[in-house]
Amino acid sequence: MNRTNQLTRMLLKQEVEEFLYHEADLLDDRRYEEWLALVADDVRYWMPMRRNVKFGEEEREFTRAGHDINWFDEGKETLTRRVKQILTGIHWAEEPVSRISHMVSNIRLVEVNPSVEAPAEVTVKCRFLIYRNRVETETDILVGKREDLLRRVDGQWKIARRKIVLDQNVLLTKNLTFFF
Amino acid sequence: MTEPINIRTLEPGTRIALVDGATAEIVSNPADGVWVFARCLSSPDDAARVGSEEMIFAQDIVEIRTAGQ
Amino acid sequence: MRATSEGYRPGLVNMAAGQISREIFVNEEIYQEELERLFARVWLFVGHESQIPKPGDYFVSGMGEESVILCRDRAGKVHVFLNSCRHRGMKVCRYDEGNTPVFTCPYHGWSYGTDGKLVGVPYFREAYHEKLDKAQWGLVEVPQLSFYKGTVWACWDPSAPPFLEYLGDFVRYLDLTLDGWDGSEGGSEILGGIQKWRIPCNWKFPAENFCGDSYHNISHRSVDLVGIGPSGSGRRDMQERLMARRLHVAFYERGHQTGVYMLPKDRPTPPSYQHSSVVAEYFAHCEEERRRRRGEWARLIGSPGEIFPNTALHPRQPRTIAAWHPRGPHETEVWRWYLVDAAAPAEVKDFLRDYYIRYSGPGGMTEQDDMENWNYAHAASRGTIARRYPYSYEQGLGFETDNYEWQGLPIPGTVMDITEAKSSEHNLRNLYRRWAEFMEAASWDELATWRVARAAE
Repeated sequence: MNRTNQLTRMLLKQEVEEFLYHEADLLDDRRYEEWLALVADDVRYWMPMRRNVKFGEEEREFTRAGHDINWFDEGKETLTRRVKQILTGIHWAEEPVSRISHMVSNIRLVEVNPSVEAPAEVTVKCRFLIYRNRVETETDILVGKREDLLRRVDGQWKIARRKIVLDQNVLLTKNLTFFF
Repeated sequence: MTEPINIRTLEPGTRIALVDGATAEIVSNPADGVWVFARCLSSPDDAARVGSEEMIFAQDIVEIRTAGQ
Repeated sequence: MRATSEGYRPGLVNMAAGQISREIFVNEEIYQEELERLFARVWLFVGHESQIPKPGDYFVSGMGEESVILCRDRAGKVHVFLNSCRHRGMKVCRYDEGNTPVFTCPYHGWSYGTDGKLVGVPYFREAYHEKLDKAQWGLVEVPQLSFYKGTVWACWDPSAPPFLEYLGDFVRYLDLTLDGWDGSEGGSEILGGIQKWRIPCNWKFPAENFCGDSYHNISHRSVDLVGIGPSGSGRRDMQERLMARRLHVAFYERGHQTGVYMLPKDRPTPPSYQHSSVVAEYFAHCEEERRRRRGEWARLIGSPGEIFPNTALHPRQPRTIAAWHPRGPHETEVWRWYLVDAAAPAEVKDFLRDYYIRYSGPGGMTEQDDMENWNYAHAASRGTIARRYPYSYEQGLGFETDNYEWQGLPIPGTVMDITEAKSSEHNLRNLYRRWAEFMEAASWDELATWRVARAAE
């Protein structure tokens, strides 16, 4: 890759990072409807469960999208319902609302199509640390990896696919009322 | 003192030498790195053992024999 | 606070007044007694045969606080073992599921066959001089194991009644979860992926909820408002409520209970799952078949129920079995299994799976609000002052009936018809009535009261 390519790629990565940080701001500020606008209509939002498996049997570790029970395996319609539920003001699991901070790091562009100069879709990997504190002392820290497919639509990035890999087996938080 | 061997991935058919001088051939491997099921091929002090299937403990395996040994 | 010295019923569980002390939810001593007097003596759900189809298959499950291995041996026989090496206790299996010829302990190398027999002992000749009696040191196995329409149940008490006797007439209600949608016997399978998660409350909060807490709809108002139901609106199909009798059915001697809807005679089952025409057609066909096979009994539609003490049944919308595992008095670990008909078309299974996980579990829009209530109800009950004030369980007290029948269909059990009443706490009282009996009883001789009645006849 020559220097011009490198710089173009770097600028694209910067743009993608800004997008992900902006998304995190929207969620942390509870601007859910604006967040939904960043989600593609055909999105797949998937969080598999993880099993403890023997060395060499890695294929058994993750539950499969569209086949097994997962923590999440849904599209925009269900995500929209979840937002509506929070906005009723009587979703007791979020009443009072949680205080949440999404930290996004280790952001890497894994694949850019068709080209770095004219990107239409980008596969991004990152790490997340979600800190949630609610009511008085209730605190959860959830850490894991994310793999997103971002798609450029009318000059705006949208989340077309999100795979969330939480680093837990037994889920150590009582609910998943927030978005990853 | 022989080097320890990771027996976890040894295939059935592999020939092994044991600490007491016996040799055996692996019949099946539970892949736990601790035991293999093997058939005794030779024994320096117990002829009756030959041909019988035993569980062999990892620490009793001193060498992997190549074919012909 | 010993059961034998003070007695549980007068002090803590007052059935006559419908009041129960908060102590039973938050007290450490009572919790320790529960582990002995309850979890060591009852039948517990450990899994489903479809999870261990082949010899060597295993699934690590739980009974009370303890880890157990559900496995199928080389000869095809199913076992449930305590997941602990007999030598020094190490867990012999730290994987969730798989297939293996032996369970080997990594601490000193002891190895057990899938039938539990101790087969590998390092230096058995040299260090033990062949004196260890291996036959005495196999994995600890449950003395009683039972299979019912795919489900697997285990009990640590050899003197407990066999599982079907333990169930009694409740078995017909368990069938509502386990039989095919079309009324054929059994035929269920478990969807891959067992949900496991922790909630900060005593296990009896979720247990009583699933007995038939008909009063807590306000918990789920937000999900009713936004719609989650398979027909798009509401939390569940409201149609069946409009024309059915709604019942609470409890079995006093056994401690099991459930809610149930009873449809009128000769009225078609209301359409469900309208979101998808393929699914709607499938269920409409199943309903026809169910009526043909089951006749009058097809008029019953199941709603949440509980097999004493901690196996929760949700027969439909979603179809799921949960175990509330105790993790100290202040915490529960939930394990949730989801069922479908093995013979259902893929599109139906896909549809149901999507519905199940947005309804139940920690990502479930419905279950989330339950857990919030259980969490803080428990937290607010731990204090010195709070513990002085009992919970109220008197709703509908005294309005129960035996020999209930409607339009020619008799309902076994002690019934509360809540169609007009809208709610009762009849089923919840039954859970605690039976709980108190277990905490007091020295043995199953005192608990299997139906045997005494039969002998007297």
